[in-house]
Amino acid sequence: MQKKDIGLGILIIVVGAIVYMRNPLFLSPINLGNTANLIGLFGLFAIGQGFVIMTGGIDLSVGSVIALLGVLFVDMVGKFGVPWPLAVAIIIGLGVLIGLAHGILITRFRLQPFVVTLCGLLIYRGIARGYTAESTAGFPFGSSYPQLEWLTIGRSFGVPHSFVAMLIVAAVMWVVLHHTVFGRHLCAVGKNEEAARFSGINTRFVTVMAYVICAVLASIAAIYFAMFTKSVQPSSHGNFYELYAIAAAVLGGCSLRGGEGSVIGIVLGAVLLQELQNLVNLLGIPSSLNFAVMGAVILLGVLADQQFAAYRTRKNTERALGLLQKP
Amino acid sequence: MDQQIWGVFMNVLELKNISKRYGAIQALDSVSLAIAPGEVVGLMGDNGAGKSTLVKVIAGNFAPTSGDILISDKKVAFNKPLDAQKAGIEVVYQDLAICNNLSAASNVFLGREPTRRIGPIKVVDYAFMRSKSAELFARLKSETRPRDLVHKMSGGQRQAVAIARTLLSDAKIVLMDEPTAAISVRQVAEVLNLIRQLSDQGIAVVLISHRMPDVFEVADKVVVLRRGELVADKKASQSSPEEITGLITGAIEHA
Repeated sequence: MQKKDIGLGILIIVVGAIVYMRNPLFLSPINLGNTANLIGLFGLFAIGQGFVIMTGGIDLSVGSVIALLGVLFVDMVGKFGVPWPLAVAIIIGLGVLIGLAHGILITRFRLQPFVVTLCGLLIYRGIARGYTAESTAGFPFGSSYPQLEWLTIGRSFGVPHSFVAMLIVAAVMWVVLHHTVFGRHLCAVGKNEEAARFSGINTRFVTVMAYVICAVLASIAAIYFAMFTKSVQPSSHGNFYELYAIAAAVLGGCSLRGGEGSVIGIVLGAVLLQELQNLVNLLGIPSSLNFAVMGAVILLGVLADQQFAAYRTRKNTERALGLLQKP
Repeated sequence: MDQQIWGVFMNVLELKNISKRYGAIQALDSVSLAIAPGEVVGLMGDNGAGKSTLVKVIAGNFAPTSGDILISDKKVAFNKPLDAQKAGIEVVYQDLAICNNLSAASNVFLGREPTRRIGPIKVVDYAFMRSKSAELFARLKSETRPRDLVHKMSGGQRQAVAIARTLLSDAKIVLMDEPTAAISVRQVAEVLNLIRQLSDQGIAVVLISHRMPDVFEVADKVVVLRRGELVADKKASQSSPEEITGLITGAIEHA
């Protein structure tokens, strides 16, 4: 664990303690279960976003991908009677294709990630709304898919399976980032692409893979969100979710300049964001102020982190100078 | 390194009448040069004299228009930098191809990370990376620590990291492009020491530099290019900075 992660963990505990003192319902099993579910849902695609950010890129299309693939999943399973395992495979396959498209446009055609994924944001949302003619996609009345529901919205010992899925994904991605050659190369490409290329790293492949990972995790999240909301309203489903993901990744210590970040940090970032949402609800703050609270806390968090880092550097320099001056 | 083993080959690298043309421009004009194992060659010349072109031809970035390259007396043809790397030629770039956010050990192994298997997955072997790079730094007599992040290092230590990369692949020749250009005086001494360490291990070094004192400090041989032509190839001990300056500017025709 890095120092940043520990700081974030402490912040989560402090905020939690304050909320608990004001409203003990915070630690009630129902509230914890619901919050854990949301952490799972948002954490899933925040991890993917983190990988893209580590390459020095950004993926703004996540929310629209969740809406489009959510609509398609609900329609496939609910309307056309596609067996759900096949539907899941198709959705993840579409996620791979979307990620490949982003990655290839960015590496081969040298377009900027912001532009490519901004266009993705508009295109996927537009297709979702056009395909459904603005009507809400939902499962037919009375339909039930026990296994799919168990996997997505089921709970074991009160722990929502979305949260478990996020933990599994986080564990896998932790190994990928910190203990595989690909993870090393991802950090190198994000910081100094030229150096990575001179070292014989296939930098295009690494970048494309980051976008594929992001889109695949977004497609998995799309299935979980569709099952959670049961119906998908194409114009509002998943709105701003890319920004939640970016916020979680940045709170978790990913630098938008690339090359830095940790999976534990991203997960903790997602936890803090949901804790703040929960805080707004539990402390009776008007929910219209939701975004304002979140924005203020992220700003303060990043500012504090910057100041602490500067302070540590100053202290270290002073100590080093002190040692030099001693005879 | 055992001189007997190295003695088998006369030259680790030999260039025979290398020419390189870009359209109407003759960047290299029939350059011939031989480098012995462990020899330190100072490659000098004014801007545009053809130094970079020569280095790029040796490093396999592009093929010469005509002429032959011989490695350990065997003729070779490089189509891409990887071919040259496989033949034992390593380049340390001026703007150091290293990543600031990674540790020294990670940088040494960047692009060729050792892995070990845990069940079905291959994970990076950090322990081996650290111990091997510590060994390489020790061979270079550098105090660089494998775990340290590169962005906290001095220019000299960064050079050590970049040079350790070349040791990893058992290079025969290391090409160094202006390694002493942007660092402090104390660090220059450190880098020149690194060059001597390479030479002591039988690795030939081609040092491209504008800094006359650095070249005369370490080079066995000084080679001067002027307008794509090789105008001097002589022992550093038999030359002087004044003579080399004259050769570079054209005040002295040939040596």
